[in-house]
Amino acid sequence: MGAFLFFLSSGLFLGWSLGANDGANIFGTAVGTRMLRFKTAAIIASVFVVLGAVLAGSGAANTLNRLGNINALPGAFMAELAAAFTIYLMVRSRILTSSSQAIVGAIIGWNIYSAKPTDLSLVSTIASTWILCPILSGIFAIIIYYLTKMFLKLHCVSLLTQDTYTRIGLIIAGAFGAYALGANNIANVMGVFVGANMLHSLPLPYGFSLSPEQVLFMLGAIAVAIGIFTYSHKTMATVGRNIMQMSPIAAWIVVISQSLVLFLFASPALHEFLISHNFPAIPLVPVSSSQAVIGAVMAIGLIKGGSSINWHLIGKIIIGWIATPIISALICYISLFVLANVFNLQVYN
Amino acid sequence: MFKIKISLFPKTKSLENKIDSFHDKVIDSAVLFRKAIKVFLSQDGREEYRSVNKQIKKIEHDADGLRREIENQLYAQNLLPNLQADVLELIESMDKINNQIHDVVYKFHVEQPEIPAELHRSVEILCKQVAECCENMGIASRAFFKDLSIVRDYTHKVYLMEQESDLTCNEIKKSIFASDLPLANKIQLDLLITEIDQIADIAEDCADKLLIFAIKRDI
Repeated sequence: MGAFLFFLSSGLFLGWSLGANDGANIFGTAVGTRMLRFKTAAIIASVFVVLGAVLAGSGAANTLNRLGNINALPGAFMAELAAAFTIYLMVRSRILTSSSQAIVGAIIGWNIYSAKPTDLSLVSTIASTWILCPILSGIFAIIIYYLTKMFLKLHCVSLLTQDTYTRIGLIIAGAFGAYALGANNIANVMGVFVGANMLHSLPLPYGFSLSPEQVLFMLGAIAVAIGIFTYSHKTMATVGRNIMQMSPIAAWIVVISQSLVLFLFASPALHEFLISHNFPAIPLVPVSSSQAVIGAVMAIGLIKGGSSINWHLIGKIIIGWIATPIISALICYISLFVLANVFNLQVYN
Repeated sequence: MFKIKISLFPKTKSLENKIDSFHDKVIDSAVLFRKAIKVFLSQDGREEYRSVNKQIKKIEHDADGLRREIENQLYAQNLLPNLQADVLELIESMDKINNQIHDVVYKFHVEQPEIPAELHRSVEILCKQVAECCENMGIASRAFFKDLSIVRDYTHKVYLMEQESDLTCNEIKKSIFASDLPLANKIQLDLLITEIDQIADIAEDCADKLLIFAIKRDI
C-alpha cells in the first residue's frame, strides 16, 4: 500500500496544481471583485469538487481507460509525471495548455511504449471535444447573455436586488462549476491509476459505500481541494482583477457556460439520457476549463462589440492542442524507457 | 453562510429605501426652490419665504445625512462592489444640487436683492426651468437604480431644460444691464442669476456622469 501511495503522488501533485489553477476559473471573479470571501469560496469549491469527482467522475475516466488501460503502477506514475512536466514546459513557453491534453498524450506515449494499440477513432473523438469545448462554451455564453438581458428587461430588476441575485448566482454557478470540474477533470488526476488501483471500497453510514474507484477519485479530489485552499487565492485575485472590466453578471455567465460545458462532457447520467432518447451522445472526455472560459469571454466580447476575435490567443490554443499531446507522449515514452531500463520497474503488464 | 443569505435582502431593502428617500429630497428641494423664489418676488411673502427657506435647509441637512448613510452602508456591507465608486460619485453630485439650491435661497434671504418688477416674470420662468431640470435629474438618477431603460429619456429632458435655462439666463442678464439700476445692483443681480443658472449646470453635469454609469451598468 505504501508503494501504491508513493506512485499515486504524481497524480496527487497534478491534482494540487489543478486546484490551484482551475479553482480561479470557478470563483476567481466572485473573490476578485470582493463579492465573496475567499474562505467561503474555497469551502464551497472543495466540497463540490469532491462530490463531482466521487459521484460523476467515472465517465471521463473510463474514456481515458479505453484509450489506454495503464495496468502497472510505475507506468501510471510516469504518465502522470510526464503530463505534469509537459504542463510545466508549456506554461514556461507561454503556450496555452491543459492537463486533459497532456494526460491524453502521456497515455498514447504509454500505449506506444507498451506496444498496445491506440484507438485512433477515440483519439479523434477526444481531439474534437477540445475544439468543441471553447466553441460550445461561447455558444452557451451568447444564449445565456441574451436570456439574462431579456429577463432583466422584462422584470425591471433594481440595481441592489440584481446585486443580491448576482451574489447568489455566483455561489450557485461556482458550486456547479466545482462539481463539473471534479466530475470532468478528476480523470486527468486519477484516471490512469484506475487500471492499477489497489484501494478497497469504503463503507459509509446508512448502508452506503464508495467503490475502490470512487475512493481513488476522492483522494484525487482532496488533492484538488488542497490546491484550491493553499494556492488559488492569488490566482483568484489575478483573475478577478483581469475580468474586472466585465460586470459581475457577465462573469456569472462565463462561469455558468464553462460549468455547463464541463458537465456535458462529464455526466454519465446525461450521456445515458441522450442515448436512451436517440440523441447523438456527447463523449465523456476531460476538457480544459480554462479554454472553456476563454471561449465564453471571447463570445461575450464579440456580442458586446467591444473586442474582435483575438487570433493570437486562438493560435496559442491551437498550438497547445497539437504540441501538448505530442510532447507529453514523447516525454512519457522516454521516461518509461528510463524507468524500465535504469530502475528495473515494470511499467506495463 | 445561511445567516448571511437571509439577512442580505432586508439590508438591501433598507439601502434601497434610503436611496429612494435621497432622490425624494432632491425633487422636493427643486419644487420648494421654485416656490421660494415665487414667494420672494411677491412683496408681502417675507414670513412665508422664511418658512420655505427653513424647509429647504432641513431638506439639505436630511439629504446630507442620507448621503452619508448610503455611503457607509455601501462600503460596510460591500454592496455593488463593481459600481461602488460610480454610485458614490452620482449621489455626491446629486447632493451638490441640493447644496446649490440651499445656497441660492439663503443668499436671497440674506441679501434681499431688489429685482425690478419687469424682470419678475423672466426670473420665475428661469426658476421653473431650473427646477424642472433638477426634478428630471432626480427621476433619471432614481431610474439608474430601478429601471435603466428610462434613464436616457429623463437625462434628455435635463439637457433640454438646461439649454432653455441658459437662454433665459442670458435674456435676464441683458435686461439687467440695459436697465437704469445702479451698477452695484446690476452686479448683485447678475451674480444671483448666474448662481440660479448654475443649479441647472450642476444637474447637467450629473446627467453626463449618469449616462456613462448607465453604460457601465449594462451587462
